[in-house]
Amino acid sequence: MATQFDNIYHGLSAEIGKFRVAPSGMAWKGVDSEGVTAVPSGDIKWAQWLRVARQFQLRVGLRDHRKEKFDGFAREDHDKLATLLKNNFGITLEAREVAFKGWNWGVTDFQGEELAFTISDRTAFELPLRYVANSNIAGKTEVSLEFANLNPSHAGGSKSKQMGDELTEIRFYVPGTLTKLKGSDAGSQ
Amino acid sequence: GASGKEGKGWKKFQSYKGEGALPPEVERLRIFVDRKAQTVILPIHGFAVPFHINTIKNASKNDEGDFTYLRINFQTPGQLAGKKEDTPFEDPDATFIRSVSYRSPDGHRLDNIVKQINDLKKEANKREQQKKEMAD
Repeated sequence: MATQFDNIYHGLSAEIGKFRVAPSGMAWKGVDSEGVTAVPSGDIKWAQWLRVARQFQLRVGLRDHRKEKFDGFAREDHDKLATLLKNNFGITLEAREVAFKGWNWGVTDFQGEELAFTISDRTAFELPLRYVANSNIAGKTEVSLEFANLNPSHAGGSKSKQMGDELTEIRFYVPGTLTKLKGSDAGSQ
Repeated sequence: GASGKEGKGWKKFQSYKGEGALPPEVERLRIFVDRKAQTVILPIHGFAVPFHINTIKNASKNDEGDFTYLRINFQTPGQLAGKKEDTPFEDPDATFIRSVSYRSPDGHRLDNIVKQINDLKKEANKREQQKKEMAD
C-alpha cells in the first residue's frame, strides 16, 4: 500500500524521480538511474515542509542526525503527505517559515553542519559548511566564505547538463562583533 | 501595509508577501531578475532567495577560462561610498550580506543578467530622485 508522488527531486539532484511512502518507510528512485534512496520507518524522527526554489521540500530528520531532502512537491501535496506521515510513522509534518522580504540583513546561525541565514525569524537560506573551500576574515567586520562544488556534478558532465548557477563566494558584513559567526568554535554554545 | 512609511533613515520595502508570489522561473535554479517586483532572485543551495533592488549596489562580470563570473555587491553600512540615508538599516546588530559571486559556462546569459540588474538599479535611482524633487 504505497502512495506515490511523481516528479520529485532528491536534494539538489538534476534528475527527477518517484517518491513513495509506505508503512515500511519512504523511498526515492530516479527515472534514469538504478539506485534507490530508502528511508526505513524506524529511522524517521521528524519531518518539515518548506518552500524552496523547486516548489516545496519535504525534509526528513533521521535517527543518526542526517537529513534527507526531497524537492518538487506541490502546495496541494501538503495535506496528503501530512496524513501519510502521521498514519504511517506517527510524526507531524511541521511547516517551516521561509523569508521572501528581499532584505540583505538578518542573523547568521550555525545549525549542525549548516550556516543558516534568517530574516525576521524566517529562514532565507542555508549553506552547507562541508563545501566551504576557504574562509577569510578581513578587518574584523567582514567574513567571506568560498565554495567549491556546491552544485552536484552530473553524469556526463557536459556543459548542457549544467544545472544551475553556481555560488562561488559570499561575503558577510558583521558590524561590531564577530561572536555570532564564531559560534562553531569549540567550547562555545 | 507598512510599505512606503519612513522609518529611521530607511524606507521599508519588501520583495514578496509570500511564497505564492515567486515567479515560476526560480525552479531552474538560475539567477532571475523579476522586474515587476524590482527584485533579483538568487539560487542559494536550493533556496530561491529574493533581494530587492534597494539592497543592491551594483553587478559586474568577468570571464575566466571556460566560466563567466558574476558578482553582486549589496548596500551595507560602514561603506565609504553611498549616502548614509539610503542604506537599509533596521537592526544595528544584524549581519549583512555584502556580496555574492556566481559562475556559469553561459557567459551570454550572465551578460544579460548584469545588464538587467544595472538597468533596474538605474530605474530605481531615477524614481528615488524624482520623489525627492517632488518633495522639495
